[in-house]
Amino acid sequence: MEALTDNALMLKVKDNDLDKLGLLFERYKRPLYGFFYGMNKDADLSEDLVQNVFLRILKYRYLFRGEGDFRTWMYHIARNVNHDHFRKNKLKAKDSLEHWQERLGSDENRSTEYEKDEELQLLSMAMDRLPEDKREILLLSKFQDKKYKEIGEILGCTEGAVKVKVFRALQDLKAVYKELEKHM
Amino acid sequence: MSTERIQELIEKYNAQQADPAEMKLIEKLIEEGLIDIAELQGLQEMEDQLVRMDPPQPSLKLDDTFYHMLAEEKRKGHGFSWKAFFAWPEFAPRLAFASVTLLLGLAAGFFLRAPQPQKDQEIGVLTKEVSDLKEMMMLSLLEKESATDRLKAVSLSEDMGQASQKVTSALLQTLNHDDNVNVRLAALDVLKAYSKDSKVREELIRSIGKQDSPLVQISLAELMVEMQAKTSVKELEKILRNENTPTDVKKKIRESIQVII
Repeated sequence: MEALTDNALMLKVKDNDLDKLGLLFERYKRPLYGFFYGMNKDADLSEDLVQNVFLRILKYRYLFRGEGDFRTWMYHIARNVNHDHFRKNKLKAKDSLEHWQERLGSDENRSTEYEKDEELQLLSMAMDRLPEDKREILLLSKFQDKKYKEIGEILGCTEGAVKVKVFRALQDLKAVYKELEKHM
Repeated sequence: MSTERIQELIEKYNAQQADPAEMKLIEKLIEEGLIDIAELQGLQEMEDQLVRMDPPQPSLKLDDTFYHMLAEEKRKGHGFSWKAFFAWPEFAPRLAFASVTLLLGLAAGFFLRAPQPQKDQEIGVLTKEVSDLKEMMMLSLLEKESATDRLKAVSLSEDMGQASQKVTSALLQTLNHDDNVNVRLAALDVLKAYSKDSKVREELIRSIGKQDSPLVQISLAELMVEMQAKTSVKELEKILRNENTPTDVKKKIRESIQVII
């Protein structure tokens, strides 16, 4: 039997067949977690944020019309969840920045993450050194399979503007990567 | 821009010789879709590597919290709450549906009611036709030879409610000239209902002198008492003066005259 599309599942959730949200969760928990983890490098927080995304999907399920792509809608919510979290926790921002630097400094845990592939390890480090907006566009591009039009819908800009943002972010990533490579 | 120029720009970029102005131009061409990021050296590889990077695995705690939340939501979903019922996003379509139904109902009511006056008119015409028919039947029955038919005619006029002048004069005619006493009595009985009509009243008084049946005379005398018709005294006295009038009738009429005066 052919698996139901994301949109078909979400429309069932909208009709209060809440079990179908479990299937969507199984499909997207890992990419979503990857997106948040790529943004904040905090495992516990990323799990909380994934949970928040599904809570919002449940709460606002009546707003899903099935016209657009479910994944685009989900990442739109994910982005809002991420922004809301950091806006609410502005007071703690300084503190978290310190933690962040700590995490950046200790690249040891990363070596366990990408032990087999040195290149990926280096790339992960380079990503962490990018500014937030550039990291975000690259993560969206990765998890949205480079569908620039859909990413434009999430960010509220044109497909062409997304391409330029990706181009700039990749340029920066390449530069940081080369720099890190020299020091290895 | 010519393809040669675009190609030249790409080559310059790949040789890391593009100046800031040319970089701006490259960005513009990327935005317009004339240059694909894949054509630019080093960038495609970077992007591919990013895609290859497996996302980290969340812990089982995430599954636990999610399914717990889902179970909780399902449990809540079964109950009914007024707050949820009136929650705006869900209440709006309900309200819209109710309003549309109400408007449709009002519109249907308006359009179904509209032909009513015409119907009423038709019913009015039909009722009139039926009473005309009854009237005609009554008048023709009154002319029949059989007393039973004539009695039927009189009782038919009783059902007619408000009888026309034609009917009352036919009944007075019957009262004065019918051969059968019972028919005359029945006619008198029906005419009692119209005694308030001055013309009928006058004719009833005049009828006293025309009656020879004691039963009709007594009935008329009783009616005069009921009507308090002082002008009938003269007519009643005529009966008293008549030698053929039975004594019982005379006695009754005298009593009636006493009451009227």
